[in-house]
Amino acid sequence: MMPLAFGNKRSKYRVVKLPDSHLLKALGLRKGTEFTLESKHPFKGPVVVKVGCRCIAIDYDVARDILVEEV
Amino acid sequence: MKCHSSHTNKRNISDGKIKILLMGNPNVGKSVIFSKLTGVHVNSSNYAGTTVDYTIGDVSFGRQCGVMIDVPGVYTLDAISEAEKVAVNLLKEGADVIVCVLDATHLERNLDLAFQLKEYDIPIVYSLNLVDVAKRQGINIDVEKLSQELGAPVIPTIAIKNKGLIEILRAAMKLAEEECVPGSKLTDEERWDKIRDIVAKVQTRVQKKKVTFIEVLEDKTIQPWPGIPLALLVLAISLGVVVGGGKALRAVVLLPLVKDIIQPALTNLVSLVVPEGVFRNLLVGDYGILVIGIEWPLALILPYVFLFYVVFSFLEDSGYMPRIAVLADGVLRRMGIHGGNIIPLMLGYGCAVPAILGSRVANSYKERIIIAALVSFAIPCASQSAAFFALLGDRSIPALVFVYLLSVLVGLAVGTIVNRIVPGKSQPMLLEVPNLLWPDKDAFKKKIKLRMKNFLIDAEGPMMIGIVVASVIAETGILNEFSKLIEPLVEGWLGLPKEASLSLLLGIIRRELAVLPLLELDLNMLQLVVGSVIALFYLPCLSVFGVLTKEFSLKVSLLIVVATTTTAFLFGGVINQVGRLILGAM
Repeated sequence: MMPLAFGNKRSKYRVVKLPDSHLLKALGLRKGTEFTLESKHPFKGPVVVKVGCRCIAIDYDVARDILVEEV
Repeated sequence: MKCHSSHTNKRNISDGKIKILLMGNPNVGKSVIFSKLTGVHVNSSNYAGTTVDYTIGDVSFGRQCGVMIDVPGVYTLDAISEAEKVAVNLLKEGADVIVCVLDATHLERNLDLAFQLKEYDIPIVYSLNLVDVAKRQGINIDVEKLSQELGAPVIPTIAIKNKGLIEILRAAMKLAEEECVPGSKLTDEERWDKIRDIVAKVQTRVQKKKVTFIEVLEDKTIQPWPGIPLALLVLAISLGVVVGGGKALRAVVLLPLVKDIIQPALTNLVSLVVPEGVFRNLLVGDYGILVIGIEWPLALILPYVFLFYVVFSFLEDSGYMPRIAVLADGVLRRMGIHGGNIIPLMLGYGCAVPAILGSRVANSYKERIIIAALVSFAIPCASQSAAFFALLGDRSIPALVFVYLLSVLVGLAVGTIVNRIVPGKSQPMLLEVPNLLWPDKDAFKKKIKLRMKNFLIDAEGPMMIGIVVASVIAETGILNEFSKLIEPLVEGWLGLPKEASLSLLLGIIRRELAVLPLLELDLNMLQLVVGSVIALFYLPCLSVFGVLTKEFSLKVSLLIVVATTTTAFLFGGVINQVGRLILGAM
């Protein structure tokens, strides 16, 4: 288990724990959601994950609060 | 939801029109469906008390007439964000039927909204859109089964190709006659469980054989490498289209039209009717209302503004804009705003007013102040840019580049400073990155038409007032008095001829008017740069001042005015003094 912000590009993860955010849920990121880490960006830029066929960009600090495990 | 036929008791058919709400998640092709189904009369309105705009258009099907409201795209009906509040309010106001657009490539998330809508007593028809894209991605959805699960008609559509849209309208008009019992309220967990079950039942996925070009592009544009160089290239091309295209339009079509046909015709006409003197000069003198009043807006400003909106709308509708937002987030975070705000900032290169208003959505007070400061300070609007291109483009490209580079550097400084001094928190970036797609022609045309209409209404009025003021003060000698008054500043510190004080006067009304009078003066290179730099940082125009006061407070807008004007004279003067030293030494 580790924060999403430290994940590796192209790896698959499952959400274990995430902050209670209205928008995260609305975007389809919930406990148990599986996704692929698409890209990470310099200067603590966002982490982009792919849930199903859609990409979601998540702020670096939020990505640090999301705990994931590798699938 | 059970619906049964009834011909009485329809609340919403006012003046015989059926009220249709078009709803769905963001980026599901809702606006494309809207522009295909509605006629030519489309209006954008602001939802009272909010920052959210929505669009209304007329629809007709056979003998039935209706109005369709393009409700802002939302993921849920939790009424937390501004857009959600508007969506919920529109639902509560009631409607005869809802057209709910579902994205076939992301059914699970889209069904969340679909089920929340069922809790209202309005019949729904579902448009399962993007079925072609879903098919390409190996997703197959059993429409029949989905319809059973939702208890409502589901119609597969490919909006961009007009497929299924007539069926949507037919079903909507039929359902509008029916009454409807709201579905039971579910908790979030119950709803998600139910949705998971339904998706498992109706959706099958096969492994795709090959990766398409567009998917490769989607992937590459979201990686720092090669995404960032690609984005810079796209922005450079966009700039080329606006500057080059605008220049071509101006030189080939508009200037000859204005200078050779319209102006001589008007001058002759006026000379016939009006005797020589002040009044004739007012109309057709060098600064005559009918001379610059036609030349400036039509030949100098309009081509650039038009092309700016063409390029901007293309980047928006193709799904590329959110990718720029992701790539820019790292840098914008230093200034206390998240990457998504690159969109209002870029819009600011069109006009500051929608940029400042657009920043209201999903932003904290602090972020809005930062965006407003950036837009007022360092982002030249399209009209102003057009004036720069006209002034510097023909004389010196390096000078033009210098002015824009300076604007970016000052922008970075302003952002960093405002971020430090304004207390408060900034929102983190949480953004859906939509698929890339070729914008739909109809939706694209309607969008540009609406934007141009707004520009003409908002900008041309004040511009004409400015031009009338310019004519009066230039042709009646008031200008000379004012010029004498501020001579030490203009001639001494800034090194500009005293006639340039007209720029300073008119710049209060509109930003480009701080530049355009310089065109009529015979300036050397250094004076051109100084004039442009002053115009760049000088007062935001009257409309911006109004918006700043309305959005924040008189204090904030006055502060911005003082800060920008001080910066303008400081930079302009320093460049003049240093430039003279260097030129003198050579």
